[in-house]
Amino acid sequence: MRRSYTTVLIVPTGIGAAIGGYAGDALPVARSLAQVSDCLITHPNVLNGAQLYWNLPNTLYVEGYGLDQFAAGKWGLAPVHQNRVGLILDQGIEVDLRVRHLQAADAARATLGLHLTDYIVTDAPLGVELKAAASGATWGTIANPDSLLRAAERAIQEAGADAIAVVARFPDDLGSEALQSYRQGKGVDPLAGAEAVISHLIVREFQLPCAHAPALSPLPLDPTISPRSAAEELGYTFLPCVLVGLNRAPRFVEYSTDPQQDQIWADQVDAVVVPATAFGGSAVMHLGRSRSAASPLIIAVRENHTRMQVPPELLGISAVRVNSYLEAVGMVAAHRAGVYPAALNAAIAPLQWLDDIK
Amino acid sequence: MTTHFITAEIDLTESPVAMHQTIEAELAQQGEPLRWAVTEVDVDQQKAVVEAIVTVGERQEA
Repeated sequence: MRRSYTTVLIVPTGIGAAIGGYAGDALPVARSLAQVSDCLITHPNVLNGAQLYWNLPNTLYVEGYGLDQFAAGKWGLAPVHQNRVGLILDQGIEVDLRVRHLQAADAARATLGLHLTDYIVTDAPLGVELKAAASGATWGTIANPDSLLRAAERAIQEAGADAIAVVARFPDDLGSEALQSYRQGKGVDPLAGAEAVISHLIVREFQLPCAHAPALSPLPLDPTISPRSAAEELGYTFLPCVLVGLNRAPRFVEYSTDPQQDQIWADQVDAVVVPATAFGGSAVMHLGRSRSAASPLIIAVRENHTRMQVPPELLGISAVRVNSYLEAVGMVAAHRAGVYPAALNAAIAPLQWLDDIK
Repeated sequence: MTTHFITAEIDLTESPVAMHQTIEAELAQQGEPLRWAVTEVDVDQQKAVVEAIVTVGERQEA
């Protein structure tokens, strides 16, 4: 008899991660880690591939703000069988594009059996603005956050939603160098930072699952698109993966002295997998806080380069470095099996008398 | 409510927990932190650069 093994996979959004910085292209990593974990906790940037997605029964889809609160020990995760997903559409979306998104939502109901409530249109255009910071990360602001939050309140109170999907109109940026680089599998996702702001706002205000899909005009055909970005070239919307993720996204529960048995809390995390240069986020700083024997195994993946320059050591986080996600999967499998990883190497140093090395 | 992008320079601390608290306290002077990340660490100067989005003001009814 052993306790369940829980892994957290983090690939921060909008920082140009070589793996996971494009169109759901860390999903193969999530699928692999899910095979060697009893429970995998990860976030929309990892699992969302526009019209592509993968059903992972032991994986929890947790939005970034909720993941930060979970890592801080403030919120627990309560798995569900199904959520009623409320759909919020930005008033700034043109009529034809709105119809495309409503058809995607209806298709998810009819073809996948998802439960959506009736939709809400915001009472003002959200006014998404994109920004790139000095670090190279993309961020964004929205001109009318109150309109977004009013729509979410209606979706929850009037339509009965217990998870929220948002579709906001993002600026078309057809000629930009950033977009061209992104489509070639280089550079930083120009939309990602602003997307995170939208979902973070709703999760912070209402403490329920939320994810976002941008509405954009279709891009002109380009036969040289990178496979890492190709999932976003398949159709008119990026909404299907969001609806699938939210269908079974865990609900957030606040700390209680009597937690329910199926809830998951930060102190149950066994391993955390993060790009080696991106340890500056709130969640990983909390999960990497302790050097005690009970603290999780923190795995830093060298090969997943990002625009950040924050390795674990500089923040006092004790991590094991591996070259690739293939190695990370092996490290998690060994840890879960109770195998000391050094025992898998050809050379094993003999034990020393502690008094000799003091 | 309005959303703002800001940057801040934070003194490095010995533990990530103390660092986290310092960051949130610094950001709170400019609004309510929504999303942030340490994007660069200067060991010589013992400083960290933080980029963040904060919100200012309460949610308005229509």
